[in-house]
Amino acid sequence: MAVMRAIRMSLVVALGLSAIACGGGGGTTVSSSSSGSSSGGGSTSSSSSSSSGSSSSSGSSSSSSSGSSSSSGSSSSSSSSSSGGTGTTNVVSVIVDQGPSGNSVNTLFTSVTVCVPGSTTSCQTIDHIQVDTGSYGLRILAPVLTLSLPLETLTNGSSLAECTQFVDGFSWGPIALADVKIAGESASSVPVQVIGDSRFTNIPSNCSGTGGTEEDTVAKFGANGILGIGPFELDCGDCDTTTQGLYYACATTCTETVVPDTMQMPNPVTHFATDNNGSIIDLPAVAATGAVTLSGSLIFGIDTQSNNQSGTQTVLTVDGNAELLMTYNGQTLANSFIDSGSNGIYFTDSSIATCTTSGLTSFYCPGNTLTLGLSIQGQNGVTANNLTFNVGNAQTMLMNNPTFNVFPELAGTNPNPGSFDYGLAFFYGKRVAVAVEGDKTSAGTGPYIAF
Amino acid sequence: MPTFRSDEFKIAVLLSALLIAVLGPSIASATLGEPEITVQTDVAKLSASIKSSQDRAGYRVHEIQLPTGTVLREFVAPGGNVFAVAWHGPSKPNLRQALGKYFDTMVSAPKSKYSDRRHVHIQQGDLIVEGSGHMRALSGRAYLASAVPSGVNLGDLH
Repeated sequence: MAVMRAIRMSLVVALGLSAIACGGGGGTTVSSSSSGSSSGGGSTSSSSSSSSGSSSSSGSSSSSSSGSSSSSGSSSSSSSSSSGGTGTTNVVSVIVDQGPSGNSVNTLFTSVTVCVPGSTTSCQTIDHIQVDTGSYGLRILAPVLTLSLPLETLTNGSSLAECTQFVDGFSWGPIALADVKIAGESASSVPVQVIGDSRFTNIPSNCSGTGGTEEDTVAKFGANGILGIGPFELDCGDCDTTTQGLYYACATTCTETVVPDTMQMPNPVTHFATDNNGSIIDLPAVAATGAVTLSGSLIFGIDTQSNNQSGTQTVLTVDGNAELLMTYNGQTLANSFIDSGSNGIYFTDSSIATCTTSGLTSFYCPGNTLTLGLSIQGQNGVTANNLTFNVGNAQTMLMNNPTFNVFPELAGTNPNPGSFDYGLAFFYGKRVAVAVEGDKTSAGTGPYIAF
Repeated sequence: MPTFRSDEFKIAVLLSALLIAVLGPSIASATLGEPEITVQTDVAKLSASIKSSQDRAGYRVHEIQLPTGTVLREFVAPGGNVFAVAWHGPSKPNLRQALGKYFDTMVSAPKSKYSDRRHVHIQQGDLIVEGSGHMRALSGRAYLASAVPSGVNLGDLH
């Protein structure tokens, strides 16, 4: 263990030196529509203009849906632009576009650089990594990963693999270690999952038995990877003491296992050397009818630099499930959440007509756009009252503008009548902070969401 | 439906676990659409325990605590067959076990072009599967539309 600690320390020192060598940005201020650095789209610089976002950028659909790009050594590759003054460059651009599958809607992407731990040359920048406040950990689809990352091994020599569970399916693959670099931020030797790794093809029946789609290809996953930056540190609450059907020890076969916290999949932001107490997603407003693309910023840290100050934001602490109380139509819904990884506004209201077209029957199709009220309350008793949101006709909006990928009024039914799931549309035109559990900011202590 | 005493049910569970051990694969390991006895098969196969068994208007519900922290509920119609299962917790239960012969139907169902990772709506013939939630808190249910006893509110099946 002492050896491991020494190795980790030397990595931290080396990374610190390289960060200094790369320079700390030049004190530019960040605006909500900051352009510049390479985002999820790779080539979509055209879309990063102003905040209007409406039907302007029809030409921008050229964004590549390819996989990874390059393998430059420098950690600064993924972001040119701004920092909050004197510190580390803490801003990376993000984009809502069609994604690698070509049919993503309201899905936010960014680029992430991963390196073999300790190396400054064996690195790869991968675009179209989904930015998700509803999950935890960096997961990369094996087909886009050109690096050979070392696998995590348990004390008995087994490799660690995970059955990552989503509502609609599961992803299977080993946990590896990588240095993760986004903007000027670095995290050394962080557990990351390699989804669909060709060395791990025997999916345990308890994993496939959780049902739904096996999301182990870019097409099935709809992204080259996912960056889970929700308000907790780890992707499992009790996996250090009980098996939860998530982690498996793999030798000749894979069996469920408990895992020390340090080996579990973390929100990688919590491993950054600086600006590690949370993240802020800053997106411009968009026209009601939608847009082809929408560009904004992902800012690391809260109240750590001049560009990530809380100011007068409303702070709502979340419960042990990262959930909030939302009140809609006189009903208090205890399992509600705000989530950049949901592509619509999902709630139950039997008075709103659902769509009749095949494939859209779980979405709402009101005759006219509805403006509805909502209040959101945190565990701390703070309430954001008198919010409104619009519900448009999903069929009309999707059919009328087939090149659009941004739909602020897309809403659908929620299978859980006690839940209001306010997806990425919540973030449009807002600056939303997600503070990590136990971490302090000027506005409070995480886990919280603020806007 | 007669009142159901949980002690009796626990004894029944133990007995059935023994039976399963003896008879092995000759007992169908299924639940949705199967007789109530398969609730106990699930309990044994999932290394779980019955938390409660409760009679409600029009059906009986067995609440099963899985070792993963997830709670699985199985709903039994007056005719004696399981017509719905529902779950919530940090991970999904083994639905191959809980859905039995309907599992393959669920897995092969087409997906909406506009679906995301937080929702699922499947309707394949009589089978309806719905799910929602996010990492560390997943919930869902599966039921057979034609088998839901009349008068039962679908909103109560969770």
